[in-house]
Amino acid sequence: MSTQTLEIRDLAAGYGGRRVLEGIDLALLPGRITAIVGANACGKSTLLRAMSRLLAPERGEVLLDGRAVHTLPPKALARRLGLLPQTPIAPEGLSVLDLVSRGRHPYQRLLGRWSAADEAAVARALDTTAMTDLAGRDLSELSGGQRQRAWIAMALAQETGVLLLDEPTTFLDISHQVEVLDLLTDLNRSRGTTIVMVLHDLNLAARYADRLVAMQGGRVHAEGPAEAVMTPQVLREVFGLEALVIPDPLSGRPMMIPRGRHRAGAPES
Amino acid sequence: MSATATPAAPPLRGLRRAQAARRRRFFALAGALLLAGVALTLMAGQSFTPPLTVLRVLAGADVPGAGFTVLELRLPRAVVSVLAGLCFGLGGAAFQLLLRNPLASPDIIGISAGASAAAVFSIVVLGLSGATVSGIAVLAALGIAVAIWGLSWRDGVTGARLILVGIGLAAMAQSFTAFTLSRAPSWSLQEAMRWMTGSVNGAQLDQALPLLAALLVFGSALLARSGDLEALRMGDDMAAGLGLRPGRARAGVVIAAVGLVAGATAMVGPVAFVAFLSGPIAARLTGRDGPLLVPAALIGACLMLFGDFAGQHLLPARYPVGIVTGVLGAPYLVWLIVRTNRAGGGL
Repeated sequence: MSTQTLEIRDLAAGYGGRRVLEGIDLALLPGRITAIVGANACGKSTLLRAMSRLLAPERGEVLLDGRAVHTLPPKALARRLGLLPQTPIAPEGLSVLDLVSRGRHPYQRLLGRWSAADEAAVARALDTTAMTDLAGRDLSELSGGQRQRAWIAMALAQETGVLLLDEPTTFLDISHQVEVLDLLTDLNRSRGTTIVMVLHDLNLAARYADRLVAMQGGRVHAEGPAEAVMTPQVLREVFGLEALVIPDPLSGRPMMIPRGRHRAGAPES
Repeated sequence: MSATATPAAPPLRGLRRAQAARRRRFFALAGALLLAGVALTLMAGQSFTPPLTVLRVLAGADVPGAGFTVLELRLPRAVVSVLAGLCFGLGGAAFQLLLRNPLASPDIIGISAGASAAAVFSIVVLGLSGATVSGIAVLAALGIAVAIWGLSWRDGVTGARLILVGIGLAAMAQSFTAFTLSRAPSWSLQEAMRWMTGSVNGAQLDQALPLLAALLVFGSALLARSGDLEALRMGDDMAAGLGLRPGRARAGVVIAAVGLVAGATAMVGPVAFVAFLSGPIAARLTGRDGPLLVPAALIGACLMLFGDFAGQHLLPARYPVGIVTGVLGAPYLVWLIVRTNRAGGGL
């Protein structure tokens, strides 16, 4: 499971003639965490879909270790690049163990047997996500945060060098959002997995990602370390938001505070 | 719940063992039921044949009186019931799993009705028989499947719309069958019953061959795709992330399932609700551990055997198997629809 380079060259893509992405050039750092941020409908989920082969490019290409992902055999790609969509469907009555075991699908051959390597990968994924004790539970019995950990465990069982996640923290309580992002950071540190995720929360993105990609109107507006991207100017241009950016007192990472129209002035007397 | 807890292997091994044990229990139970069903079918009839005599006949001994009934009348009935039941169970469960909805069974959404209509048309109007009829039934059922998909397509297919379109097409196909039968020159009630509700009356051993062929070709194709089917159940995006081409994988599953259901329908008619009931019963009995296709197939075979046995011997008059399974399936259908409405699963 080596780290892998993911590179996007002059990518244009869309749905049924409607262009969503236009001229995207991006090199994602191997072994790092990248967060894609931007306003609604800026193309960030579409970019993730194009990177993971769900959407064919109209122009340009997405290269994984120098090979276009759209020309790789799907199973070979799935052994190197994992994807957690925003709203995966949990089949009724499925246990955590069965769900995580499905992450091994790219490794199964026709009439092949479940191997010791498969079982070990599943056990490791459950252990990393602290889901071993819940492995026998039905997915529907879990809390939102536990369920998201189960899905992440499934993606881990896939043992890919790159993991793409579309808003892995939506619908979660703030404590579970932090838990999921901590887990992804652990994963990045212990396994060297390259993580690319779409995130809604800018402060969490700046806190957890090594690099931010800010998108606007289907293009990459700014890209780089959080300090370079999370600036009042970029926030104004990308989100149309006036905000104050200060270092987060815990991590020293940039943190933004929207100005808004109310209670923004210094408290008077 | 800490990440650095005990090594992971032992608890997983325990879980896997428990799952395997539950599956073994299911297969033992289903296997015993299947054997009992076959035995009952071979023993019971206008006269009762003791088990030993049945065994002697099967072993090739010439037993006056029993030989003909067992080998010519009851054995074909048992074999055809089992094979058709396996086909219905597999095909039905595949549809229900793929569309994530128990109502999306081929006998509810018109696949069986289409196959039946095509079979009746080729027999009554075109004067065909045998494997040709099966082939036409499979093609017609595929046509119906494509039509359902096309008519319910609106930026993708949702389960509820597909089911409603399918129910509509099923009604059309059924009235076409009834119309064709009513115009048929000398059509017996017996035959009409077969094409309206399904029956194994007058089953012949040569009907087993097309069934066996359907099972070998489409059944093995479907089982080979059982992993794909499991991945597709988590949505197209997830399936693609796991290395599938969702459109292609779905087409493979649908073609195999349609082939199974249509192949069986062409031989025994649209036996009501066997495809619809097998998957949910198997799911309940296996506790949803592991793949559901083979358990559903076994349940399908049991439903055919016991449905036919009940229709022949337990009721005051003799009814074809489809009447019995229809009576069994209808309450479940009503319950499902009531539950779906209550859960707000509208359009």
